[in-house]
Amino acid sequence: MKYMLMVLGKQADYDAMGGAANSDSPGWSEADLKAMFDYMGALNDDLAESGEWVDGQGLADPRHARLVTAAADGTPVISDGPYGEAKEVLAGYWIVDVVDFDRAAEIAARAYACPVPEGAPNYPVVVHPVDSRSGTEMC
Amino acid sequence: MLTDSGPGPDPGPTPASEDLLRRLAPQVLGALVRRYGHFDAAEDAVQEALIAAARQWPGEGRPANPRGWLIRVASRRLTDQLRSEDARRRREETAAALTPRDEFVGPPPGESRAPAEDDTLALLFLCCHAELPPAGRIALTLRAVGGLSTAEIARALLVPEATMAQRISRAKRRIKASGAPFGIRPDGPEGSAGSAGSEGSAERLADVLHVLYLIFNEGYTATSGHDLQRADLAAEAIRLTRAVHARLPADGEVAGLLALMLLTDARRAARTTPDGDLIPLAEQDRTRWDRAAVTEGVALVSDALTRAPLGPYQLRAAIAAVHDEAASDADTDWAEILALYELLIRLVPGPVERLGHAVAVAMVHGPRRALALLADLDGDARMAGHHRLEAVRAHLLEMAGDRAAARAAYAKAAGLTLSVPERRYLRLRAARLAD
Repeated sequence: MKYMLMVLGKQADYDAMGGAANSDSPGWSEADLKAMFDYMGALNDDLAESGEWVDGQGLADPRHARLVTAAADGTPVISDGPYGEAKEVLAGYWIVDVVDFDRAAEIAARAYACPVPEGAPNYPVVVHPVDSRSGTEMC
Repeated sequence: MLTDSGPGPDPGPTPASEDLLRRLAPQVLGALVRRYGHFDAAEDAVQEALIAAARQWPGEGRPANPRGWLIRVASRRLTDQLRSEDARRRREETAAALTPRDEFVGPPPGESRAPAEDDTLALLFLCCHAELPPAGRIALTLRAVGGLSTAEIARALLVPEATMAQRISRAKRRIKASGAPFGIRPDGPEGSAGSAGSEGSAERLADVLHVLYLIFNEGYTATSGHDLQRADLAAEAIRLTRAVHARLPADGEVAGLLALMLLTDARRAARTTPDGDLIPLAEQDRTRWDRAAVTEGVALVSDALTRAPLGPYQLRAAIAAVHDEAASDADTDWAEILALYELLIRLVPGPVERLGHAVAVAMVHGPRRALALLADLDGDARMAGHHRLEAVRAHLLEMAGDRAAARAAYAKAAGLTLSVPERRYLRLRAARLAD
């Protein structure tokens, strides 16, 4: 069973990780960042080692995201970042291939427990099954 | 290995195509060596492809792209050969590290061990050990016994190669750590399996059959075009099950599983549209079923039923055989299928089996009685919220003429499934009932 585990964040959280304290979060110190890198690095290593890792990426700051629609002639119409500083969006994800939901939840709980500085927000990890392309013979 | 002595009595190729073959041969060999290395083996493979061309082209016409045809055929020959050599080498290496196979496999009751039996079985028992997680069992079986490369297995199971490599090495480490070989040692000092003698080995054989069935399903349920590589898994599972059957010909469940795979796989060409949409059994074009596979499957299961103790794989195969032998959906002998399901749910009272039983009840006694059986299944935690239950309920409601309820059940099932083709199918069924 493949699951996508999604970690959320706001632009404000990204800013805080860059050291800029704001109303949402204190600024992260170097030690705070190191602790997070080590923690997530170990999680990634363990997933790779167990053969459950399929993919995992962190996303760039939300301010780099764009909204795209199409004009009548089909050309792209691009507008600036969809997200105000206060909206939480996808910050990173893993795709894991695990034996069942319980195992996916176990991994998500571990990601959730990543150390953050005192007072920084911590969002629930979204665990979402991935569609499969297989189908049984329907009766 | 074929040589220039050629294919024998066939009419020779026309001079024109002989010229062409001579010209193409070095190009084809170059392509193969660049891609695979193994110069000697590649030369043999090209030789075989040329012989095949000389045989087939005069009668069947020359392909549009002769060079491509030759490269394709030669590549297939070469990879087959490398694969079987690889598998053999791996088998030999592994076998060297194993204790005598008698410590793995107690001969089934009333059967003495065939002296010529090779180590395939011992290896299968090792790869399918219950100590390993299911994903590890599948990966290791395909690698060590099937001789597939890590890359091939990764592609077939839709995970990155590095993931698969880890899965395989982890499974190997685990086998090592638990003091492999975990043989069943009826007379030995330290049986680790916790059970003894033929009962233990029957259990171990059941583990092997289960893994083979999982591999088969992994391949069989792959639908869309770019899943073709996964379809190879079904063929691989059949090949491995054949090997087990060849070594344990008296075992009814092995024969039953092989028959079940053949009878199911026979429908492959008819079960999806070119776009990968699922076609239900009742609507499949039966002329597209593989008759040879059906014939073989029917013979296998009929024979097993007459001489071996009854088991679930034989019953499932027998049910598949009744379907496959019906010239049309309307000709299906549902009474026979119902009788077989009655036996099956007595042996295996699982929710999936009971669901199949309910469908047979509907076809024999009408949908209302079957809907009552489904109500019992609603209380089964393993089935609650499962799309198959809702999909069957929808079918039965449709049979009963209750269009609105059927439509709602199809829609509910569509929302529950994680399979894209199934969801498409269920949504289409729901839409069909919209007034």
